[in-house]
Amino acid sequence: MIMRAPSRRVLRAWGLVIAVASVILPALPMGPIFAQPPLPLAVLWAAYGWAAEDESGWRAPIALTVLGLIHDQLAGGPYGLFPILYLAAYLIGRGAAVIMSAPNLISLWGGFIFTTLVTVAIAWLVAPLALGDNVSILPYAEAATITAILFPLVRPLYMSAAPSLRLNAGARR
Amino acid sequence: MRRAGAGRKIPPGILLAIALVVGGAALIIAQVTNTPAGRAAQQTGDGAAAEAGRVATGPARAGEGFFSRIGALWGSADRIEQLERENQELQAWRDLAERLAERNARYEALLRMPPDAFGDGADVENSIAAQLVLDSGGPFTRTLVANAGDDHGVKVGYIAVNENGLIGRVVTVGQRSSRILMVDDYNSRIPVMGEASRVRAVLAGQATRPPDLYTAPFAMQSPRLDFIVGAQALREGERVITSGDGGLFPRGIPVGVARRSGDGWRVALAASQQPIDFVRILPFVGVERPEDAPTTDQGPPLAAASSYSNIGRETMTPPLSAPTPAAPAPRREPRPNVRQTGAPAQTPPPAATPAPQAAEPPPEQPAGPQE
Repeated sequence: MIMRAPSRRVLRAWGLVIAVASVILPALPMGPIFAQPPLPLAVLWAAYGWAAEDESGWRAPIALTVLGLIHDQLAGGPYGLFPILYLAAYLIGRGAAVIMSAPNLISLWGGFIFTTLVTVAIAWLVAPLALGDNVSILPYAEAATITAILFPLVRPLYMSAAPSLRLNAGARR
Repeated sequence: MRRAGAGRKIPPGILLAIALVVGGAALIIAQVTNTPAGRAAQQTGDGAAAEAGRVATGPARAGEGFFSRIGALWGSADRIEQLERENQELQAWRDLAERLAERNARYEALLRMPPDAFGDGADVENSIAAQLVLDSGGPFTRTLVANAGDDHGVKVGYIAVNENGLIGRVVTVGQRSSRILMVDDYNSRIPVMGEASRVRAVLAGQATRPPDLYTAPFAMQSPRLDFIVGAQALREGERVITSGDGGLFPRGIPVGVARRSGDGWRVALAASQQPIDFVRILPFVGVERPEDAPTTDQGPPLAAASSYSNIGRETMTPPLSAPTPAAPAPRREPRPNVRQTGAPAQTPPPAATPAPQAAEPPPEQPAGPQE
């Protein structure tokens, strides 16, 4: 029996589902599995992957903003904090897609680790403005670390390492 | 569309993302000023999220209850035996506790101590029961959303407890939901004290450490004890209760158990012993300041009204080494003492006369919210 690999569209749909679930499930009192951070911030995966493969150009920023606002709402605010973090990851991902001429798993992973580090730095700058000086970004940094560690496992859901499948691949060559 | 070459344009996605980042920053700045519109938006959002959470968790809760009942059937005989053994032990403890409580009540009556009950000042009778519908969904803040709001009489500042102890304080109220700032949030600072040692401290939430137990949902982290007054008297395992200082929390609500952690102290929160599901929201009106409700009774001079001398007059003969009250400062004009008829304010009254105001129990403990 020949098993066909799932299409790119199906993988991307699963990626979106995981991103939405990672925002909503931690807020639902459903049991120990989703109860406590640090959980991976799957929206960061989506932001990084969609930055490389978003075909329309506007869908990804809008989706990230909506997810960020939902995350802000569930977390108790302030509105705008998570959209900034997710859109920052998206912008860095776009930059990385331009810079990387021949992406492979290692370079993509490295780029994602850099992206999460930058979002931690942005959280370090913005969170005190929004939430006061006492706020700690350590839980966010822990979640970002876990997200970075797990990236190779979920990478196929958000982006392809093969240059031929990536949009604007010619620009990197 | 990106093109290689000199005439490259910025893709619309990037422009849009930059515009949205700027919009997000503007949104944050607008909320920092804490405008009524921002609060209203938050309340409306909380209400909608609470409804969505209630719908989303309904089937899960029902399934959870079913499976827990099925699980409880397993090994129920052993469980019953264990509970019977514990029950026998607890009977002995209950007898001891009743004897001690009775003795303690006699001592308190002898000393005319005001009652030191659970949540002194909290309107326990009119508490509002609510169910948790949203947990803290973000890494920055530690809040919960309960499904009771303005329609149910919840107000900002009410106290949230569960069957084990303090959970937090209501910070936002929507129509049918309210957001509770948990005691382990980094913004939470609560005056507490040791129940036995009476050591005062401030419970400082941190929300930085990962929780000790991942097995319990909504397990709260162990906050730190700051600014401990008389820390050497605090004991490992001592119960920590709210002290009521500052007037934001009632006095006497159990918070947790003191645990030594390195050089400092932490509190293992009582509320996180079990998963937080139902919460009780207590109306609370702080203790009235004396200046807010002055009486005409000026009482004796301060030095003569010390609790020691008053207690001594009423209950026992002061020891010979007892300090004598300092000579009262001369008053500008003598005022009549409406309670101690005929007796000058400076003169210690005879044993049969009523005690001065400082040693008397308060006129009335407010049972309900004060207007």
